[in-house]
Amino acid sequence: MKEPTISSDAPGHRFFALGNEAIARGAIEAGVQVAAAYPGTPSSEIVGTLADVARELDMYVEWSTNEKVAFEVALGASICGVRAMSAMKHVGVNVAHDPLMTASHIGAIGGFVVVVADDPWAWSSQNEQDSRYIALQGYIPVLEPSSVQEAKDMIADAFRLSEEFGQLFMLRSVTRISHGRGDIVLGEISRERRKGSFKKDADRLAYVPRVARLNKPLMLERFRRIEEAADGLPYNRLEVKDGAGLGIIACGLSYSYTLEAVQWLGLENGVSILKIGTPHPLPRKLIMELLRSVPEVLVVEELDPFVELHVKAMVGEHGIPTRVHGKDVVPGIGELSTRKVAEALGAVTESKLPVDFAGLDRLEQEATSLLPSRPPALCPGCSHRASFRAISLAAQRAAREYGEGVEPIYPGDIGCYTLALTPPQNAVDTCVCMGGSFGLANGMAHVVEAPIIAHLGDSTFFHSGIPPLINAVYNKANITMVVLDNSATAMTGFQPHPGTGHTATGDEAVSLKAEDIARACGVGFVEVVDPRDLKAAADIIEKAIRFTGPAVVVSRAPCATIELREKRQAGEKVIPYYIDQDRCDAKCSACIKLLGCPAIIKQDEKKVIDAPLCTGCGLCPQVCPHKAIVQEQSR
Amino acid sequence: MMNEFNVLLAGVGGQGVILMSELLGKAAIADGLRVRGSEILGMAVRGGSVTSVIRIGEDVHGPLVPQGKCNILMGLEPSEALRHASYLAESGLVILNTAPIIPFTVSLGQSEYPGLDRVMEKLGAVAGRVIKLDAAKSAIEAGSPLATNVVMLGALFGVELLPVKTSTIKQIIEARFSPKLAPINLRAFDLGYEAAGRH
Repeated sequence: MKEPTISSDAPGHRFFALGNEAIARGAIEAGVQVAAAYPGTPSSEIVGTLADVARELDMYVEWSTNEKVAFEVALGASICGVRAMSAMKHVGVNVAHDPLMTASHIGAIGGFVVVVADDPWAWSSQNEQDSRYIALQGYIPVLEPSSVQEAKDMIADAFRLSEEFGQLFMLRSVTRISHGRGDIVLGEISRERRKGSFKKDADRLAYVPRVARLNKPLMLERFRRIEEAADGLPYNRLEVKDGAGLGIIACGLSYSYTLEAVQWLGLENGVSILKIGTPHPLPRKLIMELLRSVPEVLVVEELDPFVELHVKAMVGEHGIPTRVHGKDVVPGIGELSTRKVAEALGAVTESKLPVDFAGLDRLEQEATSLLPSRPPALCPGCSHRASFRAISLAAQRAAREYGEGVEPIYPGDIGCYTLALTPPQNAVDTCVCMGGSFGLANGMAHVVEAPIIAHLGDSTFFHSGIPPLINAVYNKANITMVVLDNSATAMTGFQPHPGTGHTATGDEAVSLKAEDIARACGVGFVEVVDPRDLKAAADIIEKAIRFTGPAVVVSRAPCATIELREKRQAGEKVIPYYIDQDRCDAKCSACIKLLGCPAIIKQDEKKVIDAPLCTGCGLCPQVCPHKAIVQEQSR
Repeated sequence: MMNEFNVLLAGVGGQGVILMSELLGKAAIADGLRVRGSEILGMAVRGGSVTSVIRIGEDVHGPLVPQGKCNILMGLEPSEALRHASYLAESGLVILNTAPIIPFTVSLGQSEYPGLDRVMEKLGAVAGRVIKLDAAKSAIEAGSPLATNVVMLGALFGVELLPVKTSTIKQIIEARFSPKLAPINLRAFDLGYEAAGRH
């Protein structure tokens, strides 16, 4: 059977979509012409999906060096009159914050949408953060979908609204929308393609103080007009039940949990529900109507009390006696769920809960106490494992000269290599933000006496590693900066970047080298190593640590997952290693303790290599003191 | 009676949990059913625990199976099945692949893997019924150890509780794989289907 694809012009067809695919589809239907992003979980598949069909649909799609640049790319295109978008994770918005605030003064010329994927419970992030507050600060209207289908509908509509009101719009997704799945009904694809044209208008586009003062009232006026329209948007819906004792205001995805929880508790006839799809600006008339019809209101929303604070302000402003619940009963940390909303509803309405949740919690605790922890780990054959072994050898040797008990400091960063936080690597002492490893190391260098070895990946280096590198040269920070170069943005799905030699849409591109950039920035010690040759790599890293002044080592070897995939495609055989049990010392375990490779396992007291997992990288034989690890073919 | 059917798939990165849920979701849609679900990607891909959810029915809204409402828990790995036991409905069914995957934390001596008996005992106490099968073995029999997930998918249909037609999922499987791999996967599906049917 012939199934429709994400780019099929097949209106009315149902399609099983990942939330991010649905968002991409909505943008396609709206006729988006420019899309730019830096990958970040859980937002990556949005622009990834668009890149795959860019040629076919005549769109320009790029992976930009970071979120600020990606946002500026979209802004530049919007200023030239075409529909443009940028997608990023919540912490990516922090990077784009600077242009975002002024872009809101400019507004939109071509429809302009920024998609922000928040990550409640920080599944794949350094924090959980509610991006609606950033929108609040910038007078940026926010659409927040309750389902995968609505995410598609909203973004398609967001471009129209953006042009109607001349304002930048934000779509707030969350992990369970972006990485949720559901059936969507495909709409028509707009084939309109505009030719971009730049009209000089410094009074709107060139932000000197006078222009800021000129445009702020215009921005406020646009926002006021959107606020007036909010009550009429289809994403806000009030269902009043006569005689209801409770009103629920449910924002975004919380609405779907709320529907289930209400039904689970059998409260269908006793509550009025206001579904909110625009948390900023809020549909004030609908909220007032609800507040006037019930004695109590429960606000359900993920993460911070954003809608709740506005509702409480309205209650105060209008002297309404309705009691407002929110974060007093709904958790403000982590994701919501049908259970959490049911518990909140149970607490407010004093209803009996349908399931003994405390019993389930006990069961979960009992089960968990029996179970091994299964954290994510660096893949078998991962070149970072080799790099970290080399760094550790070098740093331990260099640290001895700093005096008894001095330990090397490892400022770490964001990517697969953050997994070196745990044993046996223990090589991530700090992890704050993209590029933060080099930045924090700069500060440490001026106040502690210890070897400081900061490390980040190649994509992160291009994203925000270069300014702190220049800073170290300029301000003479005595640090070692290691670029863990596996030629991929591996953690988020192997997206290309300025070092990989090709673009998002597969065109050839220049391949920038971290070592060339470091030399151009005036770093006095720059070397490239292959970490798979452990001894040579460790020797050079040790020299870098002993060098006075900032030093850069590029530790370069391909991502094992990509290499394995390419080998399979080429029909090349992977030759695994095995452990010669006659030579292996049962008491030793150096291979396991030093490397923590998932392919080396203990069977009773025997160490064995799980052949299907082994990539034949050749690292473990280099750490085995008994020469017991050999490759299959040399058997 | 609510129109809601919840399947939770639990396994380890690399076992093909996500592919299973994609096939199941597509089949449900092809049969005209409403589908919701979600998964955790990212950090979990690197050998960590992976869960995916498929929910079918007109009363389904959210992307997560509510605790206490899972109709069928698909355990692609015993300890991962037990990790999600609290999601099972009272009469919930567990379909379990009995082959354990030992995490590296056990080799490092940081944690212990419970014996299979212990896992079974605990699961048995919670679930309405547990169907055990050696899916990895059946996959090899079908022609590829990588087809373990499709054997499990077969078992899921073999218990004949799903509101999705077996003929539909087979069409979806056939369309998803290359002409070379499709017969292997269909065989894997049938082996799983029969194994579950025997229980």
